[in-house]
Amino acid sequence: MCVTAIVTLAITLIFRTSFTTNFAQGVISAFGAYVASFVITKWEFPVLIAIPVSMIVSMGVAILVDVGLFRRGRYVNALSKQIITMGLISIVTGLTPVIFGEVEQYMINSIVKDNFTIDVPGDVDISVTYNALVCVAITAVIIPLIFILLRYSKWGLSVRATASNEYIAGMMGINTHVVTAVSWGLAGALGALAAYMRASEVKVVTTYFMTDYQVSAFLAGILGGFSTFHGPVICALLIPLAENLVMAIFNILGLSELTRWSKVIIYAIALVIIFAKPQGIFGKKIEKKV
Amino acid sequence: MNRYLQKNYALFNREVKTDDKFTEGIRKLVRTPSLQYLLFGVLMCVVGFLATQKILPYSWQSAFASTFAYAIASIGFCLLMGYSGLASLGTGGFIGIGTYAVHYVMVEAKLPFFVALLAAIGVSVLIGLIVGFISLRIEGIYLVILTLALSEILKTLYAAIEPKLTLSMKDALIFGQRLPTTMSLTLVMVFLVIVMIITSNLINSPTGRAMLAMKNSTAAAQAMGISLIKYRLMSFVICTAYASITGVMLMMVMRSADATDPTGYYALITSLNILAAVIIGGYKSIWGAVFGTFIMYGIKLVIFNQIPFLANNSLIITLASGVLVIIIAMYYPGGLAQLLLEAKTKISAIIKKMKEDKYGKDLG
Repeated sequence: MCVTAIVTLAITLIFRTSFTTNFAQGVISAFGAYVASFVITKWEFPVLIAIPVSMIVSMGVAILVDVGLFRRGRYVNALSKQIITMGLISIVTGLTPVIFGEVEQYMINSIVKDNFTIDVPGDVDISVTYNALVCVAITAVIIPLIFILLRYSKWGLSVRATASNEYIAGMMGINTHVVTAVSWGLAGALGALAAYMRASEVKVVTTYFMTDYQVSAFLAGILGGFSTFHGPVICALLIPLAENLVMAIFNILGLSELTRWSKVIIYAIALVIIFAKPQGIFGKKIEKKV
Repeated sequence: MNRYLQKNYALFNREVKTDDKFTEGIRKLVRTPSLQYLLFGVLMCVVGFLATQKILPYSWQSAFASTFAYAIASIGFCLLMGYSGLASLGTGGFIGIGTYAVHYVMVEAKLPFFVALLAAIGVSVLIGLIVGFISLRIEGIYLVILTLALSEILKTLYAAIEPKLTLSMKDALIFGQRLPTTMSLTLVMVFLVIVMIITSNLINSPTGRAMLAMKNSTAAAQAMGISLIKYRLMSFVICTAYASITGVMLMMVMRSADATDPTGYYALITSLNILAAVIIGGYKSIWGAVFGTFIMYGIKLVIFNQIPFLANNSLIITLASGVLVIIIAMYYPGGLAQLLLEAKTKISAIIKKMKEDKYGKDLG
């Protein structure tokens, strides 16, 4: 849930400033996780150093993408940007084993070890790891922080201006290139953080392990409406909640074999909502001029 | 003569030999698209035959078969994107329709192959209609994400129903005969050629014109009396139907499918590869779509696997295809088809120039 929220925020940032869906977000995040794993296993640094290092590397990669590719193309429009990000998937997938070696399994430690159990009335006790709590805490700090920055800081103002109209923002004296690059960097860093949080749960890093989150993030984005910053993030928090709710309902009704359908049900409901309200739950309707 | 005509003189001044009726007739015949497709199909069948006789590498057989199975989906996508101006990332999910049709009709119900094909097309038409209706309300990038979500729903659905499919040897029957793996390329080519001919005729018919009009401006197209709903639904239906045929073909060729595989048929990466194939080839050309698919899927299986160094370092190919996609997206939006056309124009201009140098200017 926290992972989805952070990934969604990253994707929304890029969508708003670059006007494209970044399909490479997942692999760039995974690249960050590889870096973290490399730093921990090869150089034996503590986790608290590995996470910032991976975030900085991912940030670098993302900024490189924006500065090196998006600004240079002669015919760059929304669709070709999407295709460039798809090309990036292949490149990062191809490069990762070259850089980090193919054979080794990449493992990642939890941020904090140990777990405790909560007694609930019922058969199964809920086991909570401190790791998960730390992840929730990090998310609870990072996301409000970015929203406060977006709302009240000068940087936030320039991001919002660029998002609403890049051309006019440029005429008003905002360096839109810097704004876009910073957004990409921030998205890369957030991606790496999310990937580490995810990896600390599943322990093994693969190139595609963030793709599912990326897809959920896209769905959350369109469900919440990409025209706002808060909409996608709220929906990113809502979707897993709703999914767990459906699972819980099935469990209470004693239909536990139906729980594997819960994701399908939630996605279908999301589709119906989008069909009814194409601009998203929180989105503003934009009048199109012919 | 104005400047444009002068510049492209070579294009307008094609040599036509009128004295030799026979050569001219053959020329005309070769220029007919349907015949070109047919020739291509026969050629590939011959390659397949030579591969089974081990004159050419044996692995080419299945490599070409799976590549051209994907090409069917690419052609559908080419029609959707190049002619209707709509984009979708649902290809992976739509391919699944075909594989499950094969599973339920041929493996479970033991019915003939063509029933499976019809079932796949029937279901995909339904899904295509749904997506088409959605596309009336949502456009551009949002539609892309929505089809992506739809594909994800289908994928989750497949994983929930039956994650692993296999088509055993005794169930792969066509006309009551067992289909040997050596014949799978022929089967795929038959369908690919049919799809190519249908699509090329469609593009050059009033329907194709209407779709092009719709792509360039929905408002203007509607003003000209083109029904948006009809053609949008039509293009989505065709695209999904082709993708489901791809699914059927893949099942007949590869004999298995896995919904849980992150790089499998239904994954996002398939949809992205098909999109990339159409972009590389040139999104308005059928040959481009086929060639693009060959670059995305076939080149690795057919050529690079024969070179030991590259076969061991298959990731270099992934890397190279990524670089290629980016370069084409950045500098050649028309794809390889456009590149080829430009090259052709330039070469014929050079030939013209050489002739002028030799014989003097044509003043006629």
